[in-house]
Amino acid sequence: MATIQVFDPALCCSSGVCGVDVDQALVAFAADVDWLKQNGGQIDRFNLAQQPLVFAENAAAKAFLERSGQEGLPLILVDGELALAGRYPRRAELARWAGISQLAVEAKPASGCCSGSGCC
Amino acid sequence: MLFLDHLPPFLFFTGKGGVGKTSLACATAIRLADQGKRVLLVSTDPASNVGQVFGVTIGNTVTPIDAVPGLRALEIDPQAAAQAYRDRIVGPVRGVLPETVVKGIEEQLSGACTTEIAAFDEFTALLTDAALQADYDHIVFDTAPTGHTIRLLQLPGAWSGFLEQGKGDASCLGPLAGLEKQRSQYQGAVAALSDARRTRLILVARAQRATLREVERTHEELAAIGLTQQYLVINGILPQSETSGDALAVAVWRREQAALAELPLVLRDLPTDHVPLMPFNLVGLSALRQMLSTPEVSAGDSVDAVALSDAPDLATLVDGLIGDGHGLIMLMGKGGVGKTTLAAAVAVELASRGHPVHLTTSDPAAHLAETLEGSLANLSVSRIDPRTETERYRQQVLATKGKNLDEQGRAMLEEDLRSPCTEEVAVFQAFSRVIREAGRKFVVMDTAPTGHTLLLLDATGAYHREVARQMGASGMHFTTPMMQLQDPAQTKVLIVTLAETTPVLEAANLQADLRRAGIEPWAWVVNNSLAMAKPGSPLLRRRAATELAQIDAVASRHAQRWAVVPLQPDEPVGVERLQRLTRHGTASGENITMNDETYNAEPRVPRKQEEK
Repeated sequence: MATIQVFDPALCCSSGVCGVDVDQALVAFAADVDWLKQNGGQIDRFNLAQQPLVFAENAAAKAFLERSGQEGLPLILVDGELALAGRYPRRAELARWAGISQLAVEAKPASGCCSGSGCC
Repeated sequence: MLFLDHLPPFLFFTGKGGVGKTSLACATAIRLADQGKRVLLVSTDPASNVGQVFGVTIGNTVTPIDAVPGLRALEIDPQAAAQAYRDRIVGPVRGVLPETVVKGIEEQLSGACTTEIAAFDEFTALLTDAALQADYDHIVFDTAPTGHTIRLLQLPGAWSGFLEQGKGDASCLGPLAGLEKQRSQYQGAVAALSDARRTRLILVARAQRATLREVERTHEELAAIGLTQQYLVINGILPQSETSGDALAVAVWRREQAALAELPLVLRDLPTDHVPLMPFNLVGLSALRQMLSTPEVSAGDSVDAVALSDAPDLATLVDGLIGDGHGLIMLMGKGGVGKTTLAAAVAVELASRGHPVHLTTSDPAAHLAETLEGSLANLSVSRIDPRTETERYRQQVLATKGKNLDEQGRAMLEEDLRSPCTEEVAVFQAFSRVIREAGRKFVVMDTAPTGHTLLLLDATGAYHREVARQMGASGMHFTTPMMQLQDPAQTKVLIVTLAETTPVLEAANLQADLRRAGIEPWAWVVNNSLAMAKPGSPLLRRRAATELAQIDAVASRHAQRWAVVPLQPDEPVGVERLQRLTRHGTASGENITMNDETYNAEPRVPRKQEEK
């Protein structure tokens, strides 16, 4: 099964609670990560403020930071290869990468086209 | 002294800066050692003078105090502890990751939470190491963790994601992720803290209404999490014998007595001790030995009058504020230094010179704002209730973000929302609605976010988006809000402090924090100065004499511009009295009243545990 790695930007609270507005994308993504794990997916998250060493030791993440800076985060690697950057993936994308049946995704069909940014 | 009876092994002194925690802790430790006990004194005061007191260099190792057999001391520097913690996280990637990225990570780890948790980490071992405890009968701390920190450590959800797996959804607990000790050690420390047989908590206050209100909150917050074994010490009370023939001393005495008579209800049941104002500086062994043993204090030798003849007054500072006739003026400083009063004085001074002014305050007492409303034609006053704003913000976050969380996640989120940052953000969010007016008139605020918060908000872009939305169609020209705050032509920050060691140090830290965010404070104001008020009482004159070194430090080391405001004999409400406060040589002891609001009129912070 494919391994998904998520490199989060440095945030005091990645929940966004410390900011003036709460980032709904982070909330939704946290829930999607939970869902994926419950369905047997392999996914790890790394926070730049807490585990910078992981970024430094991962060639792809390090090169990405040098090129795009932390404004470019999050960065998502699937089996070490760049899969997505600059936004969090949707549940359907996670399922596809992890090779989890689409049936399991059925609970949230709206997360397909046009529901998020960068699509359509 | 009641707080010295039947002492458990651990003693914690807690209270805001400048109330005398370290002196009391030292005096207590000496007294116990004099009784033959083996005592370890732990100071986490960043201005620790414990070494000075004993004439020994102490630092971060347990050091025997030769002058007091049985006493050892240890100084923990919370800033250094936080720095060490940052180095542990950031050190390995310095030079590996891009410089800007490393800087960003460091800023994340530069908040007050990190400092507090790093300090807690440092003394966790002292509370849980059985071998160490066998060496001492008592361990005396001159500080205590806040309720927020302890609650975070108590939440099971806080641990599963961080210390055990080192990953997961981050929260304000983030700083914990890099701590070295095991979960069981933190649990042990929290258990020791909340065990009345092992720990006594001593709340230290001054006889000032606002200070006592703050102690009331601390008491409730700590009691709510099981730290119920609390004692109260009211320090530095002016004896009535000092009041003869000195109008200022009479006013101070009356204010203090009134504050004691109105002691908040929940504090009345606590075993309480009163410690009189000492006629000497609390430095040196004999002075500290006397602190807890002299029931009656004599005034001591007569002291010459102390006078600051050439200190600038607030009106002189205001001359420099005029500029283009508009702009944002923010008064910053720790709670209890009198930001609201000085904001009102600045606003009144500007308005009385004919400028349009909007004073916006978070003073919960409201009376100050109310007495000013409508008093000057070009002065408008608005009030923001920190409690309401924080609650609104909290509910909004819980309703949106919290709705899909499970029980554990929701508990974590609720605790995150009780962090001091939350209130700061919520209040500033409310203030930012008024800031846009600063392009046309003066906007004077009695609060401001710290540099750390500004940097974080700026880094995430959230602050920019928020203000852009607020400014909307108003048409005010701005580049970024951060640049507005950084531009001295548009924004002037006045740091307010008291002429005492710890408050000046705290103000200097605040200034360093603002400078990190590219904001250079425009001036410092030393408030409630006894030296400037020229007291007649020998005791007050001694206190006044000790202020000189601090005022000198402000003038020569810290501030670009400065002013001194004398301690007022009467409560500075209303236009006339506020104007008197801004000019030297006009305030004196006539019209003495019984109010203590001269000391300050600080925002009443929402009580944290009521939302459960």
